[in-house]
Amino acid sequence: MTQEILRLENVCKRFGGIVVADDICLSLHAGDVLGLIGPNGAGKTTLFNLISGLIQPDAGRIYLQGHALTGPLHRRARAGVARTWQHMRLFRTMTVLENMLVGPRNYPGESLLRSMIGTPSVHRAEAAARDRAMHVLERMGLTNTASTIVVDLPFGQQKLVGLARALMNDGPCLLLDEPMAGVEGSNYETMQRIVRDEAAAGRAVCVVEHNVSFIKDLCTEAIFMSYGRILKRGSVDDLTRSRELTELYFGTADA
Amino acid sequence: MDYLASAGVLIGIYIILAAGYNLIIGYGGLNTIAHPIFFALGAYTTALLAIGTGLPPVICIAAGIGVAVIASVFLAVTTLRISGDYLLIASLGFQLGLLQAINNLDFTGGPSGLSNIPVTLSGPARGWLYLMITAALALLVIWLVHRGMSGPFGRAVRAMRDDDVACAALGRGLFTMKVVIFAFGCGTAGLAGGMYAYYFQYISPEQFNVAQSATILTMVVLGGIGTIWGPVLGAFVLVALPQVITFLQLPSSLVGPLQGLIFTSLVILFLFLRPHGLVGTRTPGAAH
Amino acid sequence: MTDPVILLQILWTGIAMSSYFVLFTVAFALTLKVEKLWNFAQAGLMGIAFYTMFWSLNAAHWPTWAGIVASVLLTIGVTIGMEIWAIDVLRRRHSSGLIFFIFTLIFSQFVAFLLTLLFGTEPETIFPSVMSPVRIVSGIAVSDWDLQAVGLTAALLIALYLLIRFTRDGQFMLAVADNEKLSEIYGISARRAYILSGVISALLIVAGIWLYGTRAGVTPDVPVDLILTAVIATLIGGLGRVFSAGMVAVGLALLQSFSILFIASKWQGLLLYGILFFALLVFPRGIPAWRPRRIQPAPKPAAPVQAEG
Ligand SMILES: Nc1ncnc2c1ncn2[C@@H]1O[C@H](COP(=O)(O)OP(=O)(O)O)[C@@H](O)[C@H]1O
Ligand SMILES: [Mg+2]
Repeated sequence: MTQEILRLENVCKRFGGIVVADDICLSLHAGDVLGLIGPNGAGKTTLFNLISGLIQPDAGRIYLQGHALTGPLHRRARAGVARTWQHMRLFRTMTVLENMLVGPRNYPGESLLRSMIGTPSVHRAEAAARDRAMHVLERMGLTNTASTIVVDLPFGQQKLVGLARALMNDGPCLLLDEPMAGVEGSNYETMQRIVRDEAAAGRAVCVVEHNVSFIKDLCTEAIFMSYGRILKRGSVDDLTRSRELTELYFGTADA
Repeated sequence: MDYLASAGVLIGIYIILAAGYNLIIGYGGLNTIAHPIFFALGAYTTALLAIGTGLPPVICIAAGIGVAVIASVFLAVTTLRISGDYLLIASLGFQLGLLQAINNLDFTGGPSGLSNIPVTLSGPARGWLYLMITAALALLVIWLVHRGMSGPFGRAVRAMRDDDVACAALGRGLFTMKVVIFAFGCGTAGLAGGMYAYYFQYISPEQFNVAQSATILTMVVLGGIGTIWGPVLGAFVLVALPQVITFLQLPSSLVGPLQGLIFTSLVILFLFLRPHGLVGTRTPGAAH
Repeated sequence: MTDPVILLQILWTGIAMSSYFVLFTVAFALTLKVEKLWNFAQAGLMGIAFYTMFWSLNAAHWPTWAGIVASVLLTIGVTIGMEIWAIDVLRRRHSSGLIFFIFTLIFSQFVAFLLTLLFGTEPETIFPSVMSPVRIVSGIAVSDWDLQAVGLTAALLIALYLLIRFTRDGQFMLAVADNEKLSEIYGISARRAYILSGVISALLIVAGIWLYGTRAGVTPDVPVDLILTAVIATLIGGLGRVFSAGMVAVGLALLQSFSILFIASKWQGLLLYGILFFALLVFPRGIPAWRPRRIQPAPKPAAPVQAEG
């Protein structure tokens, strides 16, 4: 049995009249790559927001490695929840490397005073972060973009930087929100390879993605969401073979 | 020649103000315009201590910095969850409210201010001495801002300005960062206030009103918001150029408004001709 | 406790005094709503409007109506010029809010310095005397100025309401306020709406400064104080709600009048800023709607509900 990383118990959330998370129960183990599919507005991003602490659930509990996961965004990131964003949210005036260097869990620059003085511990932590960042960039074949301002990169590479930045957080849980949207060619393959490697290294990964073949290639299992509910969890083939779900998906998606 | 020294001290003081304010609004993206009230708190605290206790100037100024920091932490803790335009207006309310209090209290001298601040450092070289000290302090503040913003702390602050949610989701505690840069920036305003009180020996509430907010804000934005040298240049140009007409021997009732006219005309001119600041930069202005 | 007649007197005088606050507030709130502009330049417009009247009546000895006409024309002219040559330029550059803030505030200061140079810093009034005949109505002193102030303000607000409610231009103005891009798609000129809102605001400002300047002395620095009160009322009234901002202005003026009973008058300014500060602490995004619904129904073309508060 692999270790359970993330566990959601009866998580509920509503915005005004709309129920966006309806009694969600979920469990994710080290090495899993769980696909999350469903029509637009199903509540997939909201589920990530609930896990990462951008919004708080109305009811229910979330556990990370057996400990209750509470508090605001930054606490949960430090506890080990790394995520990407559907719309990337890169720091647009900063270089690729700088973007990534904001991300380590053990951040050397939380104190202005220590940062100003540049204590040895700050130097050590900075050097370690830099090594880690360069290593990630190397795996992605982006080494030569390190000092480019992020908005000057082509879209596909920006998506990769979004992932690279999240990977600076070495926590056990990785949430990817539509990593493939707008990504093609070699970037597509890189993305796939990195996600697979991260899972193999023992992370629990959850991917929201509309690209079914990506999910098929990558995910051991997937869940199908609609109107804030998990309708089904199973192998990707099972889900895509289900007439009912396919209709729900394509019937609502671009209506 | 005392003119020159006096103008130099004024420029130095505004450089300190602009550099500290730039930290808050340019790097931190926190849109407050209450900076002059921390300048005022520094000046009044220093002046009152100098008049009432005769403690050494260093201690009086340190106390001025302390009061400015305490007030800024209060403002930060209460209002930093307010965002955008509302923060700007809330800070304005804070500034004008405190200014009203200063204006109406007895021990602050009311509207006529404090004019009996004791002479410190006298003699023919007084002006030049002050100029040296102010210049040194201004350099120190610039260096500190540079130091602070080029390291990991500054990186996180810039990330917060670019996208606060993404920054927090990477594990950075925004609230603490905001309070720290606020306190630091306002502390330097307190320092500028202390120097101002000692050198000019006269302070009154009207020197710290909304017009002053506009002045400091303008120096930062027109110089080049979010750059190290932009606000310095902005302060220099916008203080120095209006000073030029003091050489024209005009009646003093004309000098004030004329300097004001020059200042505002320069601002409007730069605003339209150099929209990205004198120090050109691709860094966008503070979030709005 | 306190004599009811005194309370009524304070109430009446407070209402009359609130007239120019209301006009300035509605002017400020209107440009904020339509142009999305915190237009601190309106302080400069107040200065221009006042000193034009002051000069034409006291130095040039024109008849009163001519002074008013001159003031209206000049104020509207400056408004339109500023819209075309400044605000519109900044808008096309996608300047940040800070730039607009700086420009409008600095413009007002420019005007203030210019007026100081021309007219000095002595308080001036439009007519040499600020006294106006008083009659006693059931124990309450009611001056001609009071009646004029209340009447003029009410008439202007009703006219504004009718204009917004029943004319095409008024509806277009609301449509642009709701969604500028969408309105342009429907063929509504945003620029025309901006200029119209500017012109209306200019008229309200002339009326307001007329009331103020026939009652109290004006110096080049007074307009900035006046605009700050308008900002506070607009904020508490809730962004995008022009008429409720006006009502808040009345409320604030009354609060100030009645506060005489409790606190020294010199602390009234502090009261105002204190209210502003704490209102923002409690409602960090402006006061939520406290009216059952908006005065104006959404105009036909612009469907989306405006995001308020
Ligand atoms: N902060 C919010 N406030 C109100 N409604 C929201 C908020 N965030 C998301 N929603 C709504 O919740 C629903 C689910 O959205 P989302 O989780 O983004 O869907 P998706 O599955 O496409 O990622 C949508 O109807 C969306 O409009
Ligand atoms: Mg989504």
